This record gives sequence, C-alpha cells and structure tokens, in this order.
Amino acid sequence: MLFLILTSMLSCKKNFLDVTPKDQISDNTVWATTDNADLFLNSIYGSIPGPFNTFDPEENYSDDCMDGINPVRSRQIYANSVYTPSNAPTYWGVYSYIRKCNLFIEKVTASKLPGTWKQLRLAETRFLRAYLYMLLWTRYGGVPIITDVLNSSVQGDAIFRSRNTLDETFKFITDECAGAANDLPIKATVAGRVTKGAALALKGWCELFNASPLHNPDNNKTKWALAAATNKQVMDLNVYSLFPDYETMFYEENNNNVESIFAKAYLGGTSIGGSREGIQGPTFANGVQHAYGMINPSQEIVDSYSMANGLPIADPASGYDPQNPYVNREKRFYQSIVYDGSFWLGSEMLTRQGVGSKNQLDLSGGSGVTKTGYYLRKGLNPKYAVNGINMLNSASYMVFRYAEVLLSYAEAQNEAVGPDESVYQAINKVRIRSELPSLTAGLSQDQMRAEIRRERRVELAFEEKRWYDLIRWKIAEKSLNGSLHAMKIEQVNGQWVYSIIPAPGGGRTFYANKNYYWPIPQSAMDKNSKLIQNPNY
Amino acid sequence: MSKTNFPGRLPVKQLFLLAIIFCYHSIAFSQETTTISGVVADSASNAPLPSVSVLVKGTARGTTTDANGKYSIKASSNSTLIFRSVGYGEKQITVGNQSVIDISLSTSNQNLDPVVVVAYGTQKKTSVTAAISTLNGDEIDAVPISNLSNAIVGRVSGVILKQGSGEPGRDQSSFLIRGISSTGSTQPLMVVDGIPRGFYALDPNTVESITILKDAAAVAPYGVAGANGVVLVTTKRGAKGTPALSYNGYIGFQNATVLSHYVNSYQFATLKNAAAKNDGLPPPYTNSDLQKYKDGSDPDAYPRGDFYKQIIKSNSILTNHDIELAGGNDQIKYYASFGYQHQGGMWSKTNSNRYNTSISLDAEATKTTKISFSVIGRVQKNAYSPAGAAYGLVATSLPIDAFQYSNGLPGNFAGAYFLNDGYSRNDITQIYSQLSVEQKIPFITGLTAKATVAYDPTIIMGKNWTTPIHIYSIDTTQHPYVYKDGILGTTKPSLSEQVSQAQQITFQGSLNYVKKLGKNRIGALALFETNAVNSQNLETGRKNYNLFLDEISMGGSSSGDITNSGSSAATRQLGLVYRVTYDYSSKYLFEASGRYDGSYFFAPGKRFGFFPAFSIGWRLSEENFIKKNLLWIDNLKVRASYGEAGALAGSAFQYLGTYAIASPAYAFNGNAVQGVNERSEPNPNITWERAKKTDVGLEATLWKGILKVEADYFHEKRSNMLVTPDVIVPSEYGIGLSQVNAGVMENKGVDFSVGSVYPISGDFEVSLTTNFTYAQNTLLQVFETTTTYNNPNRRITGKPLGTQFGFKSLGFFQLNDFDNNGNLKEGIAIQPWGKVLPGDIRYKDINNDGKINDDDLTKIGDPAIPQIIYGISPGLRYKGLSLDLLFQGAAKTNFYYVRQGAWPFHSSGSAFVEHLNYWTPENPNAKNPRITSAPTTNNTQVSSFWMQDASYVRLKSATLSYYLPLKVTEKIRIKNARIYISGQNILTWTRMINYDPENTNSLGPNYPPQKVISLGLNVTF
Repeated sequence: MLFLILTSMLSCKKNFLDVTPKDQISDNTVWATTDNADLFLNSIYGSIPGPFNTFDPEENYSDDCMDGINPVRSRQIYANSVYTPSNAPTYWGVYSYIRKCNLFIEKVTASKLPGTWKQLRLAETRFLRAYLYMLLWTRYGGVPIITDVLNSSVQGDAIFRSRNTLDETFKFITDECAGAANDLPIKATVAGRVTKGAALALKGWCELFNASPLHNPDNNKTKWALAAATNKQVMDLNVYSLFPDYETMFYEENNNNVESIFAKAYLGGTSIGGSREGIQGPTFANGVQHAYGMINPSQEIVDSYSMANGLPIADPASGYDPQNPYVNREKRFYQSIVYDGSFWLGSEMLTRQGVGSKNQLDLSGGSGVTKTGYYLRKGLNPKYAVNGINMLNSASYMVFRYAEVLLSYAEAQNEAVGPDESVYQAINKVRIRSELPSLTAGLSQDQMRAEIRRERRVELAFEEKRWYDLIRWKIAEKSLNGSLHAMKIEQVNGQWVYSIIPAPGGGRTFYANKNYYWPIPQSAMDKNSKLIQNPNY
Repeated sequence: MSKTNFPGRLPVKQLFLLAIIFCYHSIAFSQETTTISGVVADSASNAPLPSVSVLVKGTARGTTTDANGKYSIKASSNSTLIFRSVGYGEKQITVGNQSVIDISLSTSNQNLDPVVVVAYGTQKKTSVTAAISTLNGDEIDAVPISNLSNAIVGRVSGVILKQGSGEPGRDQSSFLIRGISSTGSTQPLMVVDGIPRGFYALDPNTVESITILKDAAAVAPYGVAGANGVVLVTTKRGAKGTPALSYNGYIGFQNATVLSHYVNSYQFATLKNAAAKNDGLPPPYTNSDLQKYKDGSDPDAYPRGDFYKQIIKSNSILTNHDIELAGGNDQIKYYASFGYQHQGGMWSKTNSNRYNTSISLDAEATKTTKISFSVIGRVQKNAYSPAGAAYGLVATSLPIDAFQYSNGLPGNFAGAYFLNDGYSRNDITQIYSQLSVEQKIPFITGLTAKATVAYDPTIIMGKNWTTPIHIYSIDTTQHPYVYKDGILGTTKPSLSEQVSQAQQITFQGSLNYVKKLGKNRIGALALFETNAVNSQNLETGRKNYNLFLDEISMGGSSSGDITNSGSSAATRQLGLVYRVTYDYSSKYLFEASGRYDGSYFFAPGKRFGFFPAFSIGWRLSEENFIKKNLLWIDNLKVRASYGEAGALAGSAFQYLGTYAIASPAYAFNGNAVQGVNERSEPNPNITWERAKKTDVGLEATLWKGILKVEADYFHEKRSNMLVTPDVIVPSEYGIGLSQVNAGVMENKGVDFSVGSVYPISGDFEVSLTTNFTYAQNTLLQVFETTTTYNNPNRRITGKPLGTQFGFKSLGFFQLNDFDNNGNLKEGIAIQPWGKVLPGDIRYKDINNDGKINDDDLTKIGDPAIPQIIYGISPGLRYKGLSLDLLFQGAAKTNFYYVRQGAWPFHSSGSAFVEHLNYWTPENPNAKNPRITSAPTTNNTQVSSFWMQDASYVRLKSATLSYYLPLKVTEKIRIKNARIYISGQNILTWTRMINYDPENTNSLGPNYPPQKVISLGLNVTF
C-alpha cells in the first residue's frame, strides 16, 4: 500500500505540469521561412476594413442613403451630430493593424529571408500601413505616426506619442506610397496582392483629398497639379481599363477585373464570406425578409442620376416628369436602385401606400422597412439575397477602381489647369461605359466641376466615397444639415401622386466648427496625456 | 412532422414503474414490523420520564411516553428510534433484534455530535475549527427542481445564488460563496465524493449532504483551487441492515414566474401613431386599422398580437422518479439507485430528459483493509428549438404580424421558427467512477494509508438541424386572402454535429494518523493528489441537403457544403496536502492545514505555491464555570482562522508569447489562406491570485438543542489579483497586454444561521430556521484611468466591483423648463445629445458647470449580484403531517434595464404595456419619457432612470407532506409511505417588472425561472 503511494509519487515526474497549448506557434517558427512569414502578412491583408460589409456602413453617414433600422450609429449618433468623444464612431482601433505592419516590417527586415521576397513583401506592407494611416488622417487630421513596435518594458514612457501634424501625416502616407510603388510589380503574380497601381492610386487619392478645399483653403494649384500627376501615372501604367458592364462588375465572377486596382477579398461559405446582400439589400421580397435593409438610398442620390439623354433632371430639357420619375433615367439608375414598381428576386417591389405591401414606405420610422421609398440594388447579387449575415458572397469590395482614378484625374486637372481635353477624355470614358453621351464641349471650369462632382457621386455611389467627398469639398455643412428625403406615393382621387417628403428618421445635423474632424475617442485621450483633442469637442 | 417528446404520455410510464415496484415488493422485500416497548428514564436520577416523544426515523410513526415513562411502538428491525424531550439531549437507537428498549436521556448533550464532511476527510462537528455550513440531502429531495444548484439558495448561510434562467438543461444558478472577491473567476470549486467534479446534474435523491467550505481553514487544503470557496457533495452509500427498497417520485407542473408584458397589436399601433406625431411624421395607422386591431374581426390581416397564448404551454411537466436499494452487513454494504427526470419547456421543442444512476460498494476485504467502489452515471438529453434563444424571438416579433394564420401557416419570424422542423440537441453522457483502498497499518496503531483513483469520462454530442424557414405573406388585395409561401434564409437544410470528450483522472494517496494520549488527541493527514483533464472536440457540418434526412452523409458534397474542425486541450494540477489537528480535553482545539500546489497555468519556476492556514477553537461549554452554572448551554464554541488560498482567475498560458493561427484569414484569387496573429503581450511572471482569509465564528447550542446558532464574521483580502493593465499603455499600442498580478480587493461580511426545533409534544413540533449572508467587496487597487480616478464620483477604486455608474436622472423636462421659443431656459444645463423637448429625461449637472458631460457621471446603483441574501424557513409537524416553507430574499442589488429590455421600439422591436404610460403634457409624471419612433440618444444614456432596485422576497419553496398511518401501511404491507405537495418559486414580492428579479440578462427578457407545483409519493418497502 505504502509502496503504491510512494511509487506513484515518484513516478509523477516534474514534467507532469508541462502542457503545450496546441493552437499556438512560436516566434521562431513564424519568421523562419517565407511561407510562414506570409501567414502573418495574410492576416494584415485580412485586417483591412471591409466597410460596406458591416452592419451600418459608413455610406449612411453621407447624404446618399440612410440605415433602414434603428438604433444604429449612423442614425442615432452621427446623423444628428450628437457625438461626443465618449460615443463617437471611431477608427482608432486600426492602430492594432498598424502594429501588425510594424511588427512584420521589423521582423522581416531583421530576418535572413531572401532579399527579393523581402523587398516585395515589405513594399506590400508599407502600402497596407499607409492605407490604414489614410483612414485615420482623413477622419482625425494629424495622428501619431508610429512606425516601430511599441514595447512598454523596453521603451518606458516613450510609448506615449503625440500627434503629428496634418502635413506630416500626409507626407508620411504619400512618401510611403511612393517608396512602395518603386518596389511593387505592375501586375501581381497572385491576383489580389498589392501592385504599383494600388500604391499610386492611394497616393493620388490622398493628394486629391489634400488639394480639396478642406485642406487647401487658399486653393493652391500646385496641390491639385500633384494629384492630377499621380492619378495620370496610374492611367499611364496602361494596365487598367473600364470593365464593360457596370452591373456585374461588382459580382464575384468579376473579381480582380481590369478595372480593379485594389480590393478587399471575401470568400463565400467561410467566416470571411461577404454578406452585403443579406445586410444591405431590400428588406422584403415575395413577402419574406431577405435582408436587413440597412441601406436606403435617399431621394437626393436618386435625383442625381441623369436622364438617359445625359441631362440632369434639373435641366428643363431633360424631359424629367416628377409624377412619373422612374422612366427614361440613365442606365446606372436601374442598375443601382430598387424603386416602386421595379423587380427584385422576381417580386414586384411596391413602396406605395395602401396596397398591403410589406415594403410600403415606413412612415413610422420604426420598422426595418425602407424609410425613403428606395432600396439598394448596386453590387448586390440576387443569388445571395439571404437574410442576415450570411457570409455567402465571394465578391471583392473594390477599394480603388479605375473609374475613380479617371474622375479624380478629371477633378484635379480641371482645378489645376481648367477643363482641357484630357479632362473631357477622362470623364467621358466613364459616361460612355454607361451609354451616356459625351459632355458638350466648351464648359467653364465651374460647369465642369459641377459635372465631375455629379458624375463622381453617381458612378461611385454606395462605394463609401461620398462621405469623403462631402468632407474634402467642405460641403457637408450644407449637405448634411436638414433632412434626407423620401418618395411618398399615395392614391389621391384615384390617381397615384408622387410627393417628396422628409424621410422618417432621415434628419441630418452637421456642425461646421467641429464635425469636419472626428473626435479622438475619450478612452484614447484618457490613456495618453500627449494627445490633443480636435477643436470644439 | 418531426417526432416530439410529448409529456402527456408520461403518467403512463410512471404508473408502469409503480406497478413494477409493487410487484417487487410483494415478492421479496416485504419486512415484518414488531412491537417495541420500553421505559425512558432520566440518566441522572433514574426517574421515569413522561411525555418523551418516540419516533421511528424517516416515518410518521410516533408515540409519547406515558406518566410512567413507558412506551410501545411498532418498528422493523432495521429502523431507528428517536427519543426527544424538552430539556434533554436527543438519542437515536437502532432496533436490530431487540423487542424491549429501555433508555435513559441525559441533560448533557454528548450524543449530539454529528460527523461532518471536510476537505479530504470527516470531522466531528464539535471539533471543527473552520467555517462550514451543511445541508442534508433529505431536506431537498421533495423539492421540485431539476438542477441541484437551485435547491441551495436560502437553505445555508454563506452562499449567494442567482437563477437567471429556467430553460431546461440551462437553468443552473450562478454560485458564489461569500460573494465576490475577485475581478476574475469567482466560481467555487465543486467536489463530489472527494474528487473535483460538477454536482449540478446529480440526482437530488442520491445526495447525502452538501457542505460549503467558507474560510481559509476549510479551503486551504484545496490550495490554488480553494480561494472562492468549495462545495463538497457527498452521495449516499449503503448502511448495515436488511435491504431497503424505496421509491420517491413526483410530477410537477411548471409555469413562468413572470412573463414580460408586451403590447398587443392595437396598443402597438396606438403607440406608434403617438410616436409618429411626436416626431412630426404622419400617423402610420388609420382609424380603421386601429379598429380592426382592436376588435380582432380580421385576425389574419389584423392579428391581435398576443403570441404568448399561441407559443407558451402552460403547466409543462417536471417529473422525477427514483428507486433506490440500500443495505449491507458487517463485511459488505451496497447502495444502488436509478433516477429518471423529464423537464418540459415553455414550448414543445424544448425539453430535457435525464437518467441518473449510482452504484456503490463498501467492503471490509480484510480486518484492516477497506475497499470502496462507486460509479455515478448520467445521461442527459436536451432538446431546443433551432432558433437558439427562442424567448428572444418572441421579444423581437411585432404584434402586428400574425404568429400563425387561421389556416395554421406561420406568419412571422417567431412563428416560422417555432413551427418548423429543425432542432438543436445535445446529449451528455458522464460517468464518475472511483475506487479506493484503505489499509490500516498493522504495526502503528492509528495509522491508515489510503489510495483513491477516479476516472471521469464525459461525452457531449451536439446536433443542429436547420430546415428552411417558410413564412407566409398575405395578399389582402385578393378575396379570400391569398397566402404566399416565402423562404427566409437558405432554401435547403443544413446540419452540424459536434462531439466533445473529456477525461479527468484524479489520483490521491494519503496517510492518516490519529492518536489519543490522555486528554490529548492528535490527528495528522498527509495527502498527495494529481489531477489531469484531457479534452478533444470535433465538429462537422454539411449544407444544401436535397432530402430531409438529418445525417451528415446525406448532405451536399461540394467543398462549399462541407465544414470540419477540431481541437484538443489539457489541464494539470498536483499538490501535497497536510492537516494536523490537536485538541486538549475536547476543549482547546488547534488545527493547521494547507497545501503545496502546482498548476500548468504558469511558466516553469512560477508553477508552485504554498497555501497554509491555521485555526483555533475554544469550547467554552466544556469549561466547568459553564458546565456547572449555565446548564442551558449545551455547546458553546468560539473559533478563529487565518490562512491563504489561491485562485487561477485568468486564462492559462499567458506567460507564453506566441502567435495564434486564424483560418481562413484572407483569400487571394478565390483561394482561402491561413493567417497568424500575435496573441496578447506575454507576462512571464504571471502567477496565481492570493486570498488572505480571516474568520471569527461562534457556534452555540442552547436549551438542549432548541436553539442552534452559528455566526461568522469574515474578511478576505485578495492580492496578486489578475487585472488587465490596459490603461498603462496608450490605445495606439495596438495589442492587448496579458494580465498582471497587480490588483487588490477586499471582501468582508457576516453570515449566520439560527435554528430552533421545538417539540411541543410527541405529536407536534414547530421549527424555525433562518440564515443570512452579507458580503460587500471593495476594489482596493485596480488599473483605472486618471480621468475616473481623479473624480470621486466616478472612481472605481474603493467601490464594490460592479457598482453601476451613469447620470442621475432628474425626471423629465417639463413644459415650463422652456421659453416661448421652445428653447431651454437660462440656468438649465445643456445636454449634448441633440435638442431636448418636454418629456425627455433631464440629467443632473453634478459639477454645476452648466453642461452635461462625462464629468457628471456618478454611482447610480449597486452591483447586479445581491450583497445580502437570506432565507427564513418555518416548519411544523403534527403527527404524520408536516409543512415546511422557505422564504428567500435578496437585497442591496440593482438591475439595469437597457435596450429591448427597457426602451419601446428599440431595434425596430415592440414595446411593453408599461410603455403606454409615457410623458405627455397631460401626464407629466409618467413612468416613461415622451414616446418616439425609436429611442433617442438623450433618453438612452446610462442613467438612474433605467435603474431598478432588484430586491425581492419569494416563497422559494413549500412542502406539505403526509405519512400514511401505520394501519394503512401495514395493510398494504409496506414500511411507510408519504405523499406530498411541493412547490418552487411559488410567490414573489419585488419591484421588478417584466422580468424575474433573479434575471441576469439586462439586455432583454430571458427564459424566466419556473414556478413549479408538484405532487409526490415516497414509499419504503
């Protein structure tokens, strides 16, 4: 008996407590081979926010649409400008992805991995990091530029960094893009990886943002010229062109098409599948809910679509009939918007009052049904219209596509030198793809600016570009004050009458003295006394 | 239609079971009773004692001695007689083959010394120097509960429990011993028959006792696992005597303690119209709509919206049946039981079936060797609706959508989920097996060696079958209405199955020594223990079933239809336990115990710790000055303890700086790729939390057991507490930090129990027991930002964990707070969440700076875990009839209503009837703010407005039982029989509305605990 106890005690060796968790990999392993290190970079690619796939896309912060249900941040917090540093939407969390980039750069630089591989992967990572900083810079202005891996035990108080200036941040991003572009291939060996075009497109976009009225109050033409030149560089790569079909360009079968410059990838049927149809799409079809309806296009964006003859609806010659508003509109309207009487999933979508339709314009503002009389169609593949976060879709979300580069070039060139031939060429390429006539020659710079802005709004609608444009053009104080509008269709004396009303829950408030910049989250302010809050928060 | 388990069938099963039992009885186990007689006398004077109550234990049979101290009673050979008299100590005598039993009762109390279970052993109650409380299994075997944890609240001191849910298979209470002492895990260690194991799913009938170890002296032997207290459960074993077969069973009827009162469609539409008006929107519902909702004349197009009636089954069944057989002789004792329990749910798909079995053998293999063997097994099958949180579905459905049309087709979300064929099931098979050998060492008197090995495998199989969800829409433009089929979600079924297994192996080897030298008594224990758990799980899923055959191999075969995953893990602990006890003359008691303990959680070199405890006791009642002068004191003991215990509060492996794999992380060109990510920054120095526990207690038995008191003051300081130091690095740091041992928390309070049993006569006895626990913790040192730390109102440090902060509500803005232009008058603080209107919530400007912001946050409520919990149990017994009640309550706790649980139309949802009382100029003192189409940011700030005192008192349980008279039991040839009516959660008094006060889900309604009324029968053959 005693023997049993003693032997069992002795046989229980010291290593009884050694348990190795099997779901973990050591530092040495990760940086040992290019294949292993690639796994780390893969997760940085995966970190790039795929904004449109979220519950409450930031498109709803713009005047192009609103969220169909409440409470969501866009309607509850952002639209009413009731945000304080404590409850504001935030992007501060991208610093965790920036850390990943810094760690990859540090570890790979120090490693003995092959030089060509190093050069390429470091350039990819620098682009991704620059993209993340762009997300911060456009929202917060100057932010702390952190390029090392913070370590409190080694660095002590040096881990607390103050904000760099607006210009320093801009310069960092564009310099990084320029540096990365030198090392990046024009065509990636594996579709989806960062290319030279992506780095230049990001650089051109930041330069455009920086040349726009928000950051260029004196309208310094050299800033515009810089933006025009970089966007021209992308055009001159001669690898991009417009994909012929605006409708199916966003579907998974056309991932990495000739127009795509940089895209966030999804893989349907897995945990990284896309769900935009189930989240953003029309709420009811065939009497059953098929989506949360979290994008309701506004009357404002609907009115921005021109007629098929290329004229804006405000033009008396356009032939627009306010009591029959959905006929003879340009092609992109039908490809982008679900409206009263159109079809979705074989079901007639009726938003009119009093016919017992589940999609009847929700005047109470409280259900999940459209608040504007419209639903989103653009980019939604009907075969994935399964309610909720279904993760079925493999369609990439295009962060930069060639049409944007053309329009950015047109805008920058028009501002820098005026509406020259190259401006017409760039904007007309976009119009012609959608079967619109070319712009008439001889437009003034102001007329051209108006055309470019309308074209940009329509072409890039629901691609999370509009909010940036409102901010950089410094027109948010106008466009985001008051209310978005809805189309109410009701029978009066046996006639269907179309009237534009304020959208229920579509109120917008924007304070010009503070809202062009987001507040730094209070939680970040509390932890770093070196941070200075943006004005008036 | 899928096959559902229809509880209506069950009574047939029960009758069948009873029939079997009766057959058995008439064949084999019938036991003759004989008449026992005798005289009861005073032990000192030898004078005969009249009016002594004589009872046959476990039956209603009783008599009283006559004027000459004589009695006569019928009893069988293996029954026990209990003799009780006011002013004398109780005495119990086993009948055996005696027919005359003369006994003497003593005014002293020496016989009243039960043995209690302690860590790794047993002790006499009088010599225990630690703080423990005990619950006897027979107190709870008539209570209609499915989960054993729900039987404990209010019955013992020192435990705080909260039953958040009544859902079958998911209804266990959260369990705290003496409140909360850590920001990390507060889960007590659970031990069944000496081995660390869960006890919630044990069959209550097989439980001998439940012991709660509370102070350091009690828990130190559990080392790193002991800091949060320990629950020791001992199961029944055989006893010497002829075979005793008994049956205990009940059938109970369950109903929700409280249901959330949602508005009906008419109220909903009215409220929506009012909200639209306030928002400047046209009314969404016409008068004709309102009329149709109100009169219910067109229920398919204008349903009434009272889903509850359509979904919730009233009186769903909870039934439990047990047979047990026990007996033995000097060499072998045996015990066997089998139990079956069925618990129906509030809706037909949800239910749980449990089969428990327990077998044990104790054998005196040689004169010095004892071998014990036991197997406790459980099979539990839980079934749920595929919708997951079914209760939440009801909460998010709108009353204006039909749940089910008049033709039976599902009309809305909830309807479609409740009426479809899918299911979610899990089957648990668990075995606790153990073998121990105890050997007296022949050449050293008092020394025993013992070895125990326990092997506990668990297998959980899960299966989720999701079928397409058909929702029918109604086309009201056609007459008669046309119902159109639509499919919500995927159009083909999918299936997932999970298998998870765990094997726990525990080994204990010990040496135990007891020695008495004159008045000195010494005891010593040394024990070595190892514990290892290995677990594995596998999961597989298939999508796109063409046929409705719920087997994995019938699913779609393209790669997108198939998912597989699996993982494994292991845990290890080893420790050396010691305990030394010494007492002098049973008067002065000393004990030292502790453990040298190791865990796999930490880095090599940081794995072992030592946790000692010391305790002393002084039995004043053994001192002559009390013994001689204060005869009403039977037992009086003061005791004190101090010691340390450990806690593994966080997660394992935080010392390792490694990377975790994510799959898939991204896709290139349509191909999934894996990714690796840094885990949190490692802390190589991480180790356990240390609890320093102090306890001072008093135990007294007065007036010959009429009054029993046990009271303790306790204080615990938890240092090395694991806290996340996220405030010491900026948000830009970009990675989480591992926890560090830097927190300090204090927890102190009192717990006591007072009990009295007063035999008025042999036939009539009243009793009252109460217990009370108060525990209040304070965070002494945690990581806190300077912003909150520098504001005394917002400071977390120095306040109890879970203190709720927010704005102080001043009620509503009223009309006269605004000037003629609708602007707020001068001097009223500006609120930053948009323009306020009359009827919006007004907050207090705590720092009087004219604006409301984070600086005005302050404490608005106590933690959600009650700080006071108590139970009061009156009982009375008259002849064969007895009534036992348990009133149980909690205080010093607040519940925060939030989101769909609090606000009308949150997340496009419905509203509560409560919300009809909203602010209008005519109703300025309404219960709710002005009604809006969606909750406004201003009115949904965390504030005292939505905070509710969650104190409650409830009649937790009541049992009325009746022992059939001997005349009857003799006629049907059984030993005894008892019938009882019992109940759980019978009545509740609370200020909480819409939820049960024990609800733990603040985000919305939860499956409420159930009120159960049952009818039971207990027969011994």
